[in-house]
Amino acid sequence: MIDYSVTGYNIMLEPVCTLDGHQETVWCVAWNPSGTLLASSSSDKTIRIWGQEGDHWVCKSVLMEGHQRTIRSVAWSPCGNYLASASFDATTGIWSRKEGEFECIATLEGHENEVKSVAWAPSGSLLATCSRDKSVWIWEVTEDEEYECASVLSSHTQDVKYVTWHPTKEMLASCSYDDTIKLYKEEIDDWTCCNTLQSHQSTVWKVCFDKTGSRLLSCGDDKTLKIWQEYPPGNPEGVVTVGSDSAWKCVCTLSGYFNRTVYNVDWCHTSGLIATAGGDDAICVFREEECSDKNQPSFSLVTTVAKAHLQDVNCVAWNPKTPGLLASCSDDRHIKLWQITGL
Amino acid sequence: MEGFSGALQLTDLNDFITPSQECIKPVKIERKPGKVGKIKIEDDGSYSSVTESGEVTRLQKAKITLNDCLACSGCITSAESVLITQQSQEELYKVLQENRRLQETGKGDQIKTVVVSVSPQSRASLAAKYKLSITDCAKRITGFFRRLGVHYVFDTTFARNFSLIESCHEFVRRYRDAETEKTSIPMLASACPGWICYAEKTHGSYILPYISTTKSPQQIMGSIVKDFLSGQIKKLPNQIYHVTVMPCYDKKLEASRSDFYNDLFKTRDVDCVLSSGEVEKMLLKEGISLADSEEAELDTPCFCAGEREELVSHSGGGSGGYLEHIIKFAARELFDQTLDTVEYKMLRNLDFQEVTLEVNGKPVLKMALAYGFRNIQNIVQKMKRGKCPYHFVEIMACPSGCNNGGGQIHPEDGENARDRLASVNELYNSVHCIDPHTVQGIEIMYKDWLGGHNSGKARQILHTQYHEVEKMANALAIKW
Repeated sequence: MIDYSVTGYNIMLEPVCTLDGHQETVWCVAWNPSGTLLASSSSDKTIRIWGQEGDHWVCKSVLMEGHQRTIRSVAWSPCGNYLASASFDATTGIWSRKEGEFECIATLEGHENEVKSVAWAPSGSLLATCSRDKSVWIWEVTEDEEYECASVLSSHTQDVKYVTWHPTKEMLASCSYDDTIKLYKEEIDDWTCCNTLQSHQSTVWKVCFDKTGSRLLSCGDDKTLKIWQEYPPGNPEGVVTVGSDSAWKCVCTLSGYFNRTVYNVDWCHTSGLIATAGGDDAICVFREEECSDKNQPSFSLVTTVAKAHLQDVNCVAWNPKTPGLLASCSDDRHIKLWQITGL
Repeated sequence: MEGFSGALQLTDLNDFITPSQECIKPVKIERKPGKVGKIKIEDDGSYSSVTESGEVTRLQKAKITLNDCLACSGCITSAESVLITQQSQEELYKVLQENRRLQETGKGDQIKTVVVSVSPQSRASLAAKYKLSITDCAKRITGFFRRLGVHYVFDTTFARNFSLIESCHEFVRRYRDAETEKTSIPMLASACPGWICYAEKTHGSYILPYISTTKSPQQIMGSIVKDFLSGQIKKLPNQIYHVTVMPCYDKKLEASRSDFYNDLFKTRDVDCVLSSGEVEKMLLKEGISLADSEEAELDTPCFCAGEREELVSHSGGGSGGYLEHIIKFAARELFDQTLDTVEYKMLRNLDFQEVTLEVNGKPVLKMALAYGFRNIQNIVQKMKRGKCPYHFVEIMACPSGCNNGGGQIHPEDGENARDRLASVNELYNSVHCIDPHTVQGIEIMYKDWLGGHNSGKARQILHTQYHEVEKMANALAIKW
């Protein structure tokens, strides 16, 4: 275990508050695009929406009766008016927010079993889901709010853990129990897998893009974080590319910081800080060193909260507007908010 | 297993989706009452039972057949080996070899009549691979199989005449019944076994009633060979070995369905299904290119017509033209309209197209082509919500339809899959199209063989049924 006092930084992650309400494991926390609301999902089959009243964070609503089993993850639409929920009951729920109230307006069926993750494309007109059934689905939102299946991608050979969209382009990334990360783009008439990123030695739990979308961050059961750099065709570094697709190369592996699996990681688009959540109940924060070479970047651990939760930390999420505000959730049923200080 | 359609891969075939499930299908064991004994494993790995008195009996291996797998909602990964042993070019070679042995040992009367029925999609795939015209290819395929000792080489297009005619009549009947029978419209096409298997395993009772009961061309060909031809050549059904050549592996599963098994003669309507790619392998094994194979005149199962067989096809695309035939027939029967050309409107993607029949400016019939798993999904979900606007949907599991089946011959190194598909489509479409309703030989067969349209025998021979597969809810079966 690394003690933050020996990292040489004065940066600390200070607890802000603890949000109680879920009856079972909390799997996911997600900020709305304006950073005013936090959605959380749990094994208790509910979604809770949290917001600030005065100085306090309170539960604004509880979304019940949308799912029959654990809700593994939630995602806000880019406009902030819709929430999508991925459940172990094999469905994906779409919730519409009107005048502060949420209503389930659609249930997307098709996956054979547990849906693990859901993500909206930046345009808001596409949605991606992934499942233990090894497939990744892309759904198109029609003008009359119908959700139609635009593609079923069976590139992974095992359970798909997470899906995320590129911040600007219509490019999708997924990661899996098959130890790989896959990237997809739309070809002439259908979506296809255009890249497979291999380096992790075990399950890749999560993958996320940095603010520009030219880098990827992944974490896995091999107790490492990996940074992947995009090399477009004709790149000055001379990294070989195929056709019009970029190559993605693992340029940095952070290992030795974790005793247990790393379940989740989030790359803050305002501060560039990286937060991790793991099976060691800890939250770690990393920062890229100044003068770091793009092709061989170095990151250092700036702070660790050893007992951030009483049990596994399942998810961490940086607030998109308030710099340094972090949410975390755990098997211990709690959600915690943290603030970075001393930057 | 890549030869199977995406829909099948999604229904656990090849373990594609769920983490591998061990086969938990209980195997039926004939237990004889008796005393306790021991089971001994022999040096060769076989098992023997030893009774108390020391009597040793070799035990039979418990075998999971493809049929067991089809009736189970679990994996059918183990079916891969079953498929290969039950349905492969090796099996055909075995039968041909046995025939030769019988001939040489003076037991010619025991020889099995070997029939090969080639699908038009496979023919187009072989023609594209060997750069032949479609007629040239058909004659050379016939020559190739004849040289190996096959007695008849037919074209499944012949059986498709029946399939299309029955589909047309079935649609009109269901359309008229729609007021009283909720599940008659939309009618969903039944020719694709990948789609049928997916519907049975995943959607069960709420989708199956909508699926057309008309048999696929392969299975109608099976009946023609085992029921009609057998009578013509004075053979019992089990004295004929019937092989089909198909564009997809899913057809092997279709041929294995118990609905197409003749209990009396212990024989299948189609004994063995070869993919186009497996025929390519046979050519490689024989060391000849199809382009160098001898030509032979084409056979027809319809001897009574007495015509020389010429290659013919049906309009409406490489998946059989079901939509096109049905909408033309329905326009005439139901609305007294003659529809010369069918206009397709592309919807979400190339594999989802729509056709509308308008009468006096009002749309009266709406039909769609929905190919590939993503489009099947949208149709199924629309039906579930009661929002399917179509009267008929030509559903096929493979993107781009049957010409793009998983059993087709792969493009050469450096050849684009899209270009290969384009040339297969072009070759497929180069054949002269006929109207199945006006084929003289078919009408004669309806009369002489089936006892007329819509007779009991016609319904029994040309139609089939579907079975819901109950989902296994046994979490223990899942290997995490």
